[in-house]
Amino acid sequence: MRRYAFFPGCFIQVRQPHLEALSRRILGELGVELVDVEGFTCCPEAVTLSVDKMSWRVMAARNLSLAEELGLDILTLCNGCLYTLRTVNQELKGDEELRGRVNDALSVIDREFRGLIRVRHFAEILIEDLERMKAHVERPLEGLRIACHTGCHILSPPEVMGFDDPYDPVILDELVEALGAEAVDYDLKTLCCGWTLSTYGSREASERLLASKLNSMRRGGATAIAVICPQCFHQFDVGQASAARRLGIEYRLPVFYYLELLALAMGFSLDEVGYRYHRVRSGEVEEALEVIG
Amino acid sequence: MRSSHPLRARPIVIGVAEACLRCGVCCAVETHFCHVQFEEEFDERYTYVYHCLSTPDPASNQGIWLCTACHKCEEVCPYETSPLRFIEAAKAEAYKRGLAPRLLTGIIAQITSTGYLFPITPSTVRRRAELGLKPLTTEAAEELRQIALKTGLTEPRGEP
Ligand code: SF4
Ligand code: SF4
Repeated sequence: MRRYAFFPGCFIQVRQPHLEALSRRILGELGVELVDVEGFTCCPEAVTLSVDKMSWRVMAARNLSLAEELGLDILTLCNGCLYTLRTVNQELKGDEELRGRVNDALSVIDREFRGLIRVRHFAEILIEDLERMKAHVERPLEGLRIACHTGCHILSPPEVMGFDDPYDPVILDELVEALGAEAVDYDLKTLCCGWTLSTYGSREASERLLASKLNSMRRGGATAIAVICPQCFHQFDVGQASAARRLGIEYRLPVFYYLELLALAMGFSLDEVGYRYHRVRSGEVEEALEVIG
Repeated sequence: MRSSHPLRARPIVIGVAEACLRCGVCCAVETHFCHVQFEEEFDERYTYVYHCLSTPDPASNQGIWLCTACHKCEEVCPYETSPLRFIEAAKAEAYKRGLAPRLLTGIIAQITSTGYLFPITPSTVRRRAELGLKPLTTEAAEELRQIALKTGLTEPRGEP
């Protein structure tokens, strides 16, 4: 059993708790023990806290120190949390002077960053032990054609994130194909999901972006989307539903968080993986899953 | 004074705006480009990066808040320029001067008062209970509040 300090991230905890519940169950079945850590807070989110990098580092270092106390690596479900925690972990491990300043600030709460652990994303754990995961596939997802969207913050900067090629990411495709589904290629694969446009920009721009991306996925032959980040999930689900309504176009490309696909391949029903919480559903995908049985 | 706070020292972004040759590559490369280009005001000739780097007072340019720190611009720039570093420095300056959007300052207040980026709503509480998940607690936010006091994060901003 591999043990990790479990860091679901606040987006999932607050807005998509069904993904937290499913992750606990699925990763447990795969022999990954998720240890709850009292006191974890928002990672904190890098785009917001970029206005004050020192506060960002100190708050992230506080989370890291909690996992260090338990002697456990962190396992997260979110690209954004990975970006913050891995970046700060690496910066502080490599810069004594910066670590000193951060620890000075942490001393007000009697904590210290020591640089003892690693920060992992669930997709890394799965790809590193692909055979173990494949052994749990009972119902290969044959007939599903999936457009993979890896997301920005797990890819870049590659010298820190070290997950996949930011220009041509393929690891999520490999994970999808390991479930028996087909990963389709499409030309706008590395285009961002547009989260900040829908938050700080214009709704029209966010919808134009989504329309381009979804059309590109459709041209590639996709019937569904796979993601490994809750914010990307939200964009392709809630964002797609709202873009479709306002633009009068039905893309009908349901998005699945990768662990939902894995659960389906392990024999779970659509209802058990939380499909009822999705805004975008598709008869095509539902039928394909019925045929698989 | 905020500027003399020991934790305030930050690297100075030297010459990013000058180093950029306005070639447009970071925003116009066909498949690996800045997503902010989808805003109507930008095209291949007047790019988002150009917009951020050419405003006389970058901190007062509301466009800086559209950057999501995806790093694509610095990855594709043939001249090793990093618009992202420039934009992040402009955001920091804007925050100090009280020019950050209310949405952002609200999110920071939310994080330092609850520990979460998003408000815990009755629907969150209900859904977590339905799913058999533990209720979310906010006690740890006290430590974030103490950190924010030490680093000066939540000090009142200069200008409105
Ligand atoms: S880091 Fe910012 S400016 Fe650069 S490509 Fe990404 S969103 Fe655009
Ligand atoms: S940042 Fe680099 S790629 Fe972008 S316009 Fe300037 S020189 Fe060209």
